[in-house]
Amino acid sequence: MNSDIRSQRRRPAWLAPAILILPAFAVVFAIAAYSAFSLFQLSTVDLTFGEPFRLAEGVGLQNYRWLLTNEHSTFGATVRITIHYLLGTLIPELFIGFAIALLLNRKMRGNSLFTALLIIPVVLMPSMVGLIGRLYFSYDGLINFFFESITGIRHNWYGKDLALVAVILVDIWEWTPFFILILLAGLQTLPVEPFEAARVDGASRWQSFTYLTLPMMLPLILTTLILRFMDVLRLFDVIFVMFSGGPGTATTTLPLYVYRTTLVQRDVGRGSAASIMLIIIIVALTVILIKLRERIKFEA
Amino acid sequence: MKVKNRGALLGSRILDLLTIAVVAAFLFPYLFMVSSAFKTRLETFAYPPVWLFRPTFEHFQNIFENMNILFYMKNSTIIAVCSTLLTILIAIPATYSFARYRFRYKEGVAYGFLFLQMVPGISIVFALFFIARALNLFDTHIFLIVIYLLWNIPYAIWMMRGFVEGIPVELEESAMVDGASRFKAFRLITLPLMAGGVAATAILIFIGVWNEFSLAFFLTSTKARTMPTTIAFFMTHSGIKWGPMFATATIGTLPVVIFALLVRRYFISALTFGAVKG
Repeated sequence: MNSDIRSQRRRPAWLAPAILILPAFAVVFAIAAYSAFSLFQLSTVDLTFGEPFRLAEGVGLQNYRWLLTNEHSTFGATVRITIHYLLGTLIPELFIGFAIALLLNRKMRGNSLFTALLIIPVVLMPSMVGLIGRLYFSYDGLINFFFESITGIRHNWYGKDLALVAVILVDIWEWTPFFILILLAGLQTLPVEPFEAARVDGASRWQSFTYLTLPMMLPLILTTLILRFMDVLRLFDVIFVMFSGGPGTATTTLPLYVYRTTLVQRDVGRGSAASIMLIIIIVALTVILIKLRERIKFEA
Repeated sequence: MKVKNRGALLGSRILDLLTIAVVAAFLFPYLFMVSSAFKTRLETFAYPPVWLFRPTFEHFQNIFENMNILFYMKNSTIIAVCSTLLTILIAIPATYSFARYRFRYKEGVAYGFLFLQMVPGISIVFALFFIARALNLFDTHIFLIVIYLLWNIPYAIWMMRGFVEGIPVELEESAMVDGASRFKAFRLITLPLMAGGVAATAILIFIGVWNEFSLAFFLTSTKARTMPTTIAFFMTHSGIKWGPMFATATIGTLPVVIFALLVRRYFISALTFGAVKG
């Protein structure tokens, strides 16, 4: 005991936790700082991909300015496509996911097996998911087969009108289970008493859903949306494999724009500037959403 | 009364069937893909689709004999296993620190890790490409193993912190009262209790690295290429080689599906960075 007090006097209280965190901190922040530094450096030069870096010509912040203001820049259009993609995936996934979570939230044999099986789409290799999508959405593919059986019409999903819809549908298949699993877990931990009290008071099922279930689930719904929001905004592999941003620019969301600018147009400077803007957009919007959720949590 | 019961029973049967239909609908695209790995080329492209067919193993034979798929599996395994082990080794002390100590800026640092985790791989992959070239580490296992730590370590810390905080601190304290050092108390009491959570975290990180595409695709060429990036080999000038590709996808997704089902108890926390307990 005596030695314990002495050793505590020798070492300040912050030392132990700091030493324990240090390896993780050093590794993560070293990688991040090094990449951030070179990414920023690349964003301020004019360089064709494939050329050695010594040929790079410094242009200051011209790349950013070009992306944001030049009439030939498609950055604005890319942001618009990204917003369509975000809304097109998140809204249906939330509603379908919540509905199915409510459906699964009953006593039924085999329920735990069903929820376990719903994990499968979420953990599949995204590149393989992209290829599956590519085949199923081809003119002679499964999707058209089902469409023709029901409506009698086949669609050209590879065309520029429907390509974005196709990648959205693939995302809905892959990630609706994410909402189902999380919201179902939330529903199962709701307290029983308020629902019993409501039933005694003669509340209808719809009333107890809108006045009890929904408000109690709101924080979790927002958490799930934020997590998915981050993921959708940085999704690259599935779209890359399915259409690599095309046809034209139909499926060029921000991550695809970074790739196409850097590797297809071989413009390293503008590609890196777009990368930095993508990072800023993701982090800023996520911080705002987290703050928003905290405020709603307090009001609820 | 009897009639009403029957009605309720019927309603619940309908909901049961609906549930099964919904789950089947989500599994169908995957199962159809797996079944396509056993189809001949003609059957894959048949319209309307072929449901019953005599399975062929030619594509599996093909990818093992001609496309050297074992080599890519080996690369994926090396990279995923090493990166996972390194992550856990580095993250455990940090996790313990976040869970058990009080210090200034604690939550700030924790959120700092989380924000770095948000950085999209595609946004820094070309900078990393230049770095790899400069360090002579392009197309090596070690580069990918280390780079993945940027995402894995924050994820592991956020995941495991909840597990440690769920273990009563009194257990450690009583061991320390009995004369154990803090490290010994951790090793003998907390570590065994968090082992399940650590294993689940490790498996989920393994899955993430195993599936990762953008970085592996642009930072390797021949020597360190991983399973998910082999899809490029199936897109040839004469069209996509669907059969071998489906065979590869089947083999590549199988371990992940098995692993995921093994840790399904932890899956909800895994999806939400430990924010929600399943």
